[in-house]
Order: sequence, then C-alpha cells, then structure tokens
Amino acid sequence: MSYTTELTDYMGFQGLLSDEEKLVRETGRKFVNDEVLPIIEEHAQKETFPTHLIRKMGELGFYGPNLPEKYGCAGLSNVAYGLLMYELERGDSGLRSFASVQGSLVMYPIYAYGSDSQKDFWLPKLATGEKIGCFGLTEPDFGSNPSGMRTTAVREAGGKWRINGTKMWITNGSVADVAVVWARTEEGIRGFLVEKGTPGFSAPQMHGKWSLRASVTSELIFEDVIVDEEKSLLPNVTGLKGPLGCLTQARYGIAWGVLGAADICYQTALEYALSRIQFDKPIASYQLQQKKLAEMVTEITKGQLLVMQLGRLKDQGTYTPAQVSMAKMNNVNVAINICRTARTILGANGIMGEYPIMRHANNLEAVYTYEGTHDMHLLIIGEKITGIAAYR
Amino acid sequence: MKLLVCIKQVPDLESRFKPNAGGTWFDEADLAFRMNEYDEYAVEQAVQLREQLGDSAELTVLSIGPDRVVEAIKKALAMGADKAVHVQDQAVADKDPWQIASVIAAHARGQNYDLIFTGMQSQDRGSAQVGVALAEQLGIACTTTIVGFACEGGSITVKRELEGGLKGVVRLKTPALVTCQLGLNTPRYPTLPNIMKAKKKEIAAIPVTELLQEGALADTVSFHPPAKKGGGVVLEGEVGALVDQVIGILKEKTAVLR
Ligand SMILES: Cc1cc2nc3c(=O)[nH]c(=O)nc-3n(C[C@H](O)[C@H](O)[C@H](O)COP(=O)(O)OP(=O)(O)OC[C@H]3O[C@@H](n4cnc5c(N)ncnc54)[C@H](O)[C@@H]3O)c2cc1C
Repeated sequence: MSYTTELTDYMGFQGLLSDEEKLVRETGRKFVNDEVLPIIEEHAQKETFPTHLIRKMGELGFYGPNLPEKYGCAGLSNVAYGLLMYELERGDSGLRSFASVQGSLVMYPIYAYGSDSQKDFWLPKLATGEKIGCFGLTEPDFGSNPSGMRTTAVREAGGKWRINGTKMWITNGSVADVAVVWARTEEGIRGFLVEKGTPGFSAPQMHGKWSLRASVTSELIFEDVIVDEEKSLLPNVTGLKGPLGCLTQARYGIAWGVLGAADICYQTALEYALSRIQFDKPIASYQLQQKKLAEMVTEITKGQLLVMQLGRLKDQGTYTPAQVSMAKMNNVNVAINICRTARTILGANGIMGEYPIMRHANNLEAVYTYEGTHDMHLLIIGEKITGIAAYR
Repeated sequence: MKLLVCIKQVPDLESRFKPNAGGTWFDEADLAFRMNEYDEYAVEQAVQLREQLGDSAELTVLSIGPDRVVEAIKKALAMGADKAVHVQDQAVADKDPWQIASVIAAHARGQNYDLIFTGMQSQDRGSAQVGVALAEQLGIACTTTIVGFACEGGSITVKRELEGGLKGVVRLKTPALVTCQLGLNTPRYPTLPNIMKAKKKEIAAIPVTELLQEGALADTVSFHPPAKKGGGVVLEGEVGALVDQVIGILKEKTAVLR
C-alpha cells in the first residue's frame, strides 16, 4: 500500500493554499498513514467500522471543522475542510462518510437550523466524537425524490410531537446517539433530533453490502415515537430546503474526498507499473499503460482545480448548489473510473485486498449513488442551463 | 524558564532530487517541504516541558530560511510553542553549519534562554553540527542524540543511546542545549483547532543580515547522485560448478568466508 506523504499535484494547486490549509492536510495525511491504512482492509473484509478511531478523529478536530471555535470546532476555511476530506477518503470512503455525516449532515443542521440550547448542548459533544449522529432523509420508497416522504410528525398536546415512519440506508444509524430525522408535518417538512433509546425508535443495521463495508448503514424505525418540541424540533427551517441545505454541505466534501480515493489508486498503479516487468520491460514503458496513467493524472488534476475554485467560492459565500452538483458528479465519476483503470494495471494483483484498489472502486459505487445520484446531478445541471427541470 | 527550539524545513525525502545549476546543492523546484523529522522530536519535548512548567515557562521556536519556512514555524506553534522568530534568509543552503549556528547564537545571546532544543541532524544536509556549534558559540553545556529527557528542580537529566544498545545518563546544568534523536517521544499531531489558534501567535521576522557575522568554515564542493553501479555478475553452468564459483567469489571479495 502507498504510504506516501505527498498527494498528486500535477498543476501545483498547493501553491494556492495557505499555510494553515497545508498543515490541516498534513495532519489528515499523517493520521490516515498511521492509524487507517494499517487496519482498514481488515475492517472492510469483516464489515466492521473502526470505532476506536471515532474519539481520535474528534480530538484532532475532524468533525465539523469549518464550524466556529465557539462550539469546539476549528473554524477552518472550506478549502481546508475539503483537503481533510481528500485525506480521509484516501484512507477509505467509509471513514470520510462517517466524518461527512457527523459534520455536514448532523452538526451543520443543528448549527444552521437549531435553537441556541440545541447548539450549546449538541455541538461540542459531536465535535469531540463523544456523541455520534446520523441523518435520516431517504426512505424505502423515496430516494431521489425525498419530497414524497411518508414519515410523519404530528403535533401533540403539551409541546410534544409524535413521529411514525421508516428511513433506510442511513449511515451511522445503529451507532448514533442522535438522529436528525426529516418528517412530513402539517407545516411542511421539518427536522427533529431523536435520541437513541427513545421509546418506539430502533435502528437495525443492514448487512451484506459489497460497498462501504467499513461503514455502518441502517434502517431507522419510528413507531409512535414521542419527542419534546423544545429539545427535538429544529426551529429555524421548514420545507425541503432544510435537508437539501445539509446535502449541499456534504456533497461539497464528497467532491474533494473522492479525489483522495482516486489519488491512492493512481499512485499505487503508477508505482506498480514502474516495477512490474513483462516482456523484459516495466509495463509503464508500454504506450497503452502510459495512456491510462496519463489520463488518470489528468482527471485528478482537473478535479482538483474544480474543487479548489468551488472551495474559494464557498469561502466567499457565492457558490451555488448547482455548482456543487457539478463537482460531486464529475469527481465521483472520474474517481470510480480511475479506480477501475488502476485495477487493470495491477492485473490479478488488482483484485487483492493487499492493494487498496478494489476496496475503493467498490466504495465509490455507493458514493456514486448517495447524496444525489450521478443522474440526478446531471439533471440539476441540465435544469440550471436550460431552465427546464427534466426530473419531474 | 525560557525555552528555545530550533527547527529546519527540509524537502520531503520521497522526492526525486536533482543537483542545482551550481552542482553544490539540490534544485528546490517541484519539491514539497516539511519540518525536519528530528526537529519534531525537539518541538515535542520542548512543548512537553512547557506544559509541565506551565506559565512560568515560555517557548520560542526559531527557523532560518525563505518565506516557505513559516509553514514549519506555524506547525510548531500549533503543536504548542508560544511565539516564533523567523530569520529571513533566501540563501540558507549556501551557509555552512557554523554560520547557521552563529546566526542563532546572535539571536540567542540577548535572550538568555535556559534550555535550547534542536534536532540531532537535518534530514537533508545531515551534518549534525548546528546544535553542537551553537552550544559552543554560546559557551553552554550540550548533550547530543538524547532519547530520554527529564527536568526537575532546574536540573536536566537526559538519556543517550550508545553503540551496542548501551544507555548513558547525563545530568546537565542550565543553560544547556540538547539535540534530539528518534525514540525520544512521539510527536503530537497539530490538531485542527490548534492550527487555527496558532494564527494569533506572534512571529517576529528578522533579516539574516542583522544576525550574520561569521564567515563559512566549510564549503560544499559538489552535490550529486551516486554513480550508477555496473550490472551484477551472472553465473551460468551446472549446480556443483556454480557453488564452487560462488564460494570463490565470497572468499576473494568479502569477509564472509575465509
Ligand atoms: C451506503 C449508503 C449510505 C447512505 N447513507 C444515507 C444517509 O446517511 N442518509 C440518507 O438519508 N440517505 C442515505 N443513503 C441513501 C441515498 O441517498 C439514496 O440511495 C439515493 O438518494 C438514491 O436513492 P435510491 O437508492 O432510492 O434510488 P432511486 O431514487 O430509486 O434511483 C434509482 C435510479 O433511478 C434514477 N432516477 C431516479 N429518479 C430519476 C429521474 N427523475 N430521472 C432520471 N433518473 C432518475 C437514479 O439516478 C438511479 O439511477 C445512503 C445510500 C447508500 C447506498
């Protein structure tokens, strides 16, 4: 496995980074080299999440690091946040998913839509990893079209709400202390914080995935779950824009992250091609393999420049969700293709767990679909440029 | 207690090095730079002592070099140093270890540091001289290649690793300087919040011309990759004869067989 300290940087995009951004990346890289690469393959094979890393990542400030210091977060630029995702996903997409969910899908909505007491209570605990969160939007019958959701929340007497319904494909579901749950109400879609152990709430784990095996995926089941409005209801948002606002944050991180997966596969393939001798020469000396490697590094480089610009726009507060869609769609697509091509360069070795390639290629199948499928992002871009929504 | 830790920024050792135009050092283009590994042990030990002593201590980090070394300085600040001195020098690689030591000494003389930490050597030049020469120029005690460190009641006790696995223990009076070796500690990660908090710490910039008084004692004459070795010897023939040939070569060219 490639334990290099440097990422692939053909166009010198790191020249655009501040010292702080470079140091954040270095911390992420060292953590992944020291703590993740030596153990992740076994976790993926056994379908377990490396839970011992949860607190360590919290101590390093990996959760919600672009949120303010006031809540125990680092207050990073969005570019630094993206670089962290790049490094984590170089380890494994499951690990990056954990951090994405915790930061962008749980801490972000509490920060953006929660009351002061919800923020003060949850954010510091989520930042350290003392508490874990999950985000429940998708349902068995509503994936790309969450607006049709069937989970309901009904206002009860005495400042209470009653929640009924089922969510599916929920990352961290079974290990979470708190679920951010989106439900249909009389007023529109609203967000609720539901704590583990609340009567009627269960989160059975889904087993048998061939993708993101080192990540917990679960169902969330709500049977007459009664929650307290003040503690549970996110007061400052109504409508689908609530969950969509979170998804924009997470998709931004994914657009950076997947390049990390692509990078380790590219570097592994390059190293392999230079050392593997067939017909008396390294296979890197044959034009066909060079074409593959040249195209891989080109796509990584274009992807880096895309997210770099997107990150700067996000730092300025002028980016749009449709721009995030392009970055998520493009970068996941190039990453999955790079992993598959890297697999061919390694020949038979490419299918083995000794190399990270097949694990990443399989992980990216889920990443291609979650947080808006590739197709949905194409349609969002299509709507942006034509003014016609083709998905309805 | 006033503490100083001296750090150098060096190229990533995985890089492919090429000699520069003059053939006396490497070409810096396309290289990624980071804190010298041995200096990380020095920073970690200094930060641990700073934490042990609390606010009665102050830890300064110093680095000499062009603007890029500020990144290494900020890493040390994120690890826990209180403030920094950046000696600005565009031509740091042209100076010999004696001159580098003299620049640090010129800064340190007015500061009365009680304890100075440096790395055992730099990963690029590898002279292992700057720490020792600095102690010499300041006229203070010095111990090299430490792998253990304790400070109690103003007295410093360090452990050194000697040849053959032997250990030595040395007690030092302050002011003193120690050079730090692999095995001393495990450097902490700069956490993300600490990286951001370090932005508020002071970095004093001093042009090297204000501190440099010494001339070089040594010049690097040439910097080059090792000459390409010739191909190996391929023996052919029947097994018994091959064994005899190998034994012959081992006797002739090595000390393995006599
Ligand atoms: C490992 C994993 C973890 C996940 N984690 C979470 C989580 O933490 N929280 C959460 O809420 N969800 C999560 N998801 C769910 C994920 O977001 C959904 O799977 C995704 O939104 C797609 O929904 P679907 O699977 O129901 O596919 P569908 O929406 O049924 O789509 C099936 C196919 O039809 C296409 N399609 C759908 N509609 C259109 C259209 N209008 N026009 C053209 N093509 C269309 C899609 O592009 C896709 O190719 C996770 C999924 C996975 C696999």
